[in-house]
Amino acid sequence: MNTHVKKISGEPADLSRRSFLVGTAAAGLALGYSAVPGLLGADQALAAPAKFDPSVWYSIGSDGLVTVTCGKADMGQHIASTMAQIVSEELGSSWKDMRVQLASNDPKFNDPVLGAQITGGSWSTMMNFDAMSRAGAAGRIALTQAAATIMGVPAGELVVRDSTVSHPKSKKSMSFADIVKSGKITKTFTPDELKAIKLKTPDQYTMVGVSVPQLDIPPKSNGTAKYGIDVNLPGMVYGAVVTPPVRFGATVKSVDDSAAKKVPGFIKAVTLDDKTGSTTGWVVAVANTYANAKKAAGALKVAYDGGPNAKLSSESLLEEAKRLQKLDDSGQFFVKDGDTAAAFGTAAKVLEAEYTTSINIHAPLEPMNATAEFKGDILNIYSGNQFATRSGAIAAGAAGIDPKFVVMHQMWLGGGFGRRLDADMMVPAVQAAKAVGKPVKVIYSRENDMTMDYSRPLTFQKVKAGLDGDGKLIALNHDVVSAWPTQRWGIPDFLSPSVDKKGPLDAFTVNGADFFYSVPNHNVRAIKNEMAHNATPSGQLRSVAPGWTFWAVESMIDELAHAAGKDPAEYRISLLDGKGKNDGGAQRLRSTLLAAMGMAGYGTVKLPKGEGMGVACVSSQERATASWTACVAHVAVSPSGEVKVKKLTVATDVGMQVHPDNIRAQVEGAALWGLSLAMYEKATLKDGGIEQTNFDTYTPLRMSQMPEVAVNVIANGEKPTGVGEPAVTVIAPALGNAIFNACGARVRALPITAEAVKASMKA
Amino acid sequence: MPNLNINGRNMSVEAAGDTPLLWVIREQLQMTGTKFGCGAGLCGACTIHVNGEAVRSCQTPVSEAVGKKITTIEGLSAKSDHPLQKAWILEQVPQCGYCQSGQIMQAASLLSKNSNPTKEEVVAHMDGNLCRCMTYSRIQKAILRAAADMRTASNAGTERRPT
Ligand code: FES
Ligand code: FES
Repeated sequence: MNTHVKKISGEPADLSRRSFLVGTAAAGLALGYSAVPGLLGADQALAAPAKFDPSVWYSIGSDGLVTVTCGKADMGQHIASTMAQIVSEELGSSWKDMRVQLASNDPKFNDPVLGAQITGGSWSTMMNFDAMSRAGAAGRIALTQAAATIMGVPAGELVVRDSTVSHPKSKKSMSFADIVKSGKITKTFTPDELKAIKLKTPDQYTMVGVSVPQLDIPPKSNGTAKYGIDVNLPGMVYGAVVTPPVRFGATVKSVDDSAAKKVPGFIKAVTLDDKTGSTTGWVVAVANTYANAKKAAGALKVAYDGGPNAKLSSESLLEEAKRLQKLDDSGQFFVKDGDTAAAFGTAAKVLEAEYTTSINIHAPLEPMNATAEFKGDILNIYSGNQFATRSGAIAAGAAGIDPKFVVMHQMWLGGGFGRRLDADMMVPAVQAAKAVGKPVKVIYSRENDMTMDYSRPLTFQKVKAGLDGDGKLIALNHDVVSAWPTQRWGIPDFLSPSVDKKGPLDAFTVNGADFFYSVPNHNVRAIKNEMAHNATPSGQLRSVAPGWTFWAVESMIDELAHAAGKDPAEYRISLLDGKGKNDGGAQRLRSTLLAAMGMAGYGTVKLPKGEGMGVACVSSQERATASWTACVAHVAVSPSGEVKVKKLTVATDVGMQVHPDNIRAQVEGAALWGLSLAMYEKATLKDGGIEQTNFDTYTPLRMSQMPEVAVNVIANGEKPTGVGEPAVTVIAPALGNAIFNACGARVRALPITAEAVKASMKA
Repeated sequence: MPNLNINGRNMSVEAAGDTPLLWVIREQLQMTGTKFGCGAGLCGACTIHVNGEAVRSCQTPVSEAVGKKITTIEGLSAKSDHPLQKAWILEQVPQCGYCQSGQIMQAASLLSKNSNPTKEEVVAHMDGNLCRCMTYSRIQKAILRAAADMRTASNAGTERRPT
């Protein structure tokens, strides 16, 4: 279990918790700089003479506009709008009065549960619902008290609706704007008072559960939304990076800029001295325009020492993974229930299978970029980023200054998917700005962005399962070998203790393997592939570990069902018995699977030859934060092995829907991501470098490849769970299982190719 | 010093003739609605109109645009009220939004010639525009909706799609 999510299930968030510390190899600790001037906060948001700031999360201007400051990165999940919606529910404001702005890295905007500014894990709604609700309610209480004083009526007789406080008996009413202008608001709240506020119950909601128009959509439909790449500062110049042919570990031997000097507008070539370890062997060409910087970058002659990884390939990483998996003392245990060795001894049938996934690239459509400006003591960074707390420390490390002097200006993110948890793009911007004494905007070319991605790691998984005489699953060994993306952060809070006490492990490589099936003897071993870790430093790609663990688990469960002569869906239902630690979750997952089966007509629709349906169900993202998600995939497979996906039916239990339309958009996007990863996206390493450089060789799903997608959202009134990622993880195994049912071919490698399907078809 | 006619205005820019139009528009003219995605004609994020045709501005040297009528997302409509833009909001299309200027410009060039496209025609016309957030089904719906709105005199653009 991951320590960072322990708190979320029970009590309201501890509003005073600030125990989260961030450390990086380079920059040490970074926290506590609320005194830095110029931070974008409520104070800077409104010029109105009288305003009311009930909490750090929003302020109300004398014009009645409510501006919510979102501490989360908005990368298309509309989280800023969602935060405004939750505030608005309790505040009683009208939706047309709501505005949003993006927070700086001031720690006062830290996540109330995580104690840092990080956006990922599909955590944002679940971890901020309580705090935003309380902030909204506190504002309503304060406004009501002030209105009661002004009107001379008891506060208890007042009604708050549509940004107006009214007194039905006397027919008096005041708008929020009037109350703010009156200057009569005096009520403040201690953390204990905030905690004691009685919030609405779901039956009283009028905003939560309503698909209000997203606040960020109009500016994203007319080109006015500002992303990091759009930043423009006075006197700014541009940087284009030259990256080595090796993903990681190269060094620059020499730079010849004689040809670059002939490019008009060329200013300087800066070789990075990156003590944060984010980049190796990079040079930035700085020029007066980006086009000239690109030209100059192309004209630079850089000689490299390829370093220790220059000979490595995807094949060598996979071979190393297999070698490590065979060793008895590799890795650490994430799950160790019962005694699998003994159980295998008594098993009637033992199955073994190996599952792999390829390197995958985030490729958000907005290439990585950052703008750095030194102004007095302050380093200003403009960039869309998912992890301001750590990224600020990296920027500081690149500048050689204390992190308290870094101000991060958040922008809209042109896609995140986990890529913008990293801060490598800040290093060239900072060091170039320092070298030329001007603000510098660095933009990666698509080629830089692809070849220098903190990719989803190549993974190798070996699963061994034992069935008793009735076909019941009695033992499962599951080994997961991969690079460790989250360990790379160097933040102990994000690692988890191992069951066998062999030191902390990166649970973001094995989450999902601790599923809700009841298996009496169950081992999960997390094995770090050090070679892959060094050669292809990995990151968190939308859904992270469950994107590969469920590929193995849900494929294997299917293989076991067929071995036992049972229907794969029925087999899952019998394993989801809700016994012991699986009580609650297993039942919800079972119901979700049944919902998907019902919608898809699984087991009732007669399919032509060459077609098949396959099921999968998952508890992504983590055991403690699961959204219960199931998929029925319907495919047609041609004799050549070509797979046509006809329909994906996805059901997901999200507890509570804040914005039903957005949930559908996110689940559909996530499902198509799952399909894209399962069938269309593959990156490979050769001679230490990523071979794919642009969208001609790395090919995410396009419109013509989109199947019909049906989404069914189950909202049973429990706490809201995340929706941005879970559906990614359920697609690949559902497809693999459907392919098996269509043609008898079992594929165990992602992405699925026609050749692999054909090769495994029964003659 | 090339002279450009962009969104109905004449503007002189300072750039070598081989400079991609994309960067001139974004940096010199500070119209940042047109986006950079791949620089290779593979994603469509940089789509603009030159003489009414959708082109990839990352692949268009500034010299080629001289004397032609250039339209960017900023000039598509006076008040962000092109039927496609209205449909984009009604269908709540954008997620991250980064591809959407390009999507809208690409779609506008279809509807200006064909106000009654089939779904297949929409897909064929839009397939060069990547959406990494995978908003494809809403893009399709919004295009078909905008086409219908353009066909009917009575603009029914005020009601929200039920969810
Ligand atoms: S940036 Fe021009 S097509 Fe991608
Ligand atoms: S909305 Fe994000 S790329 Fe299309």
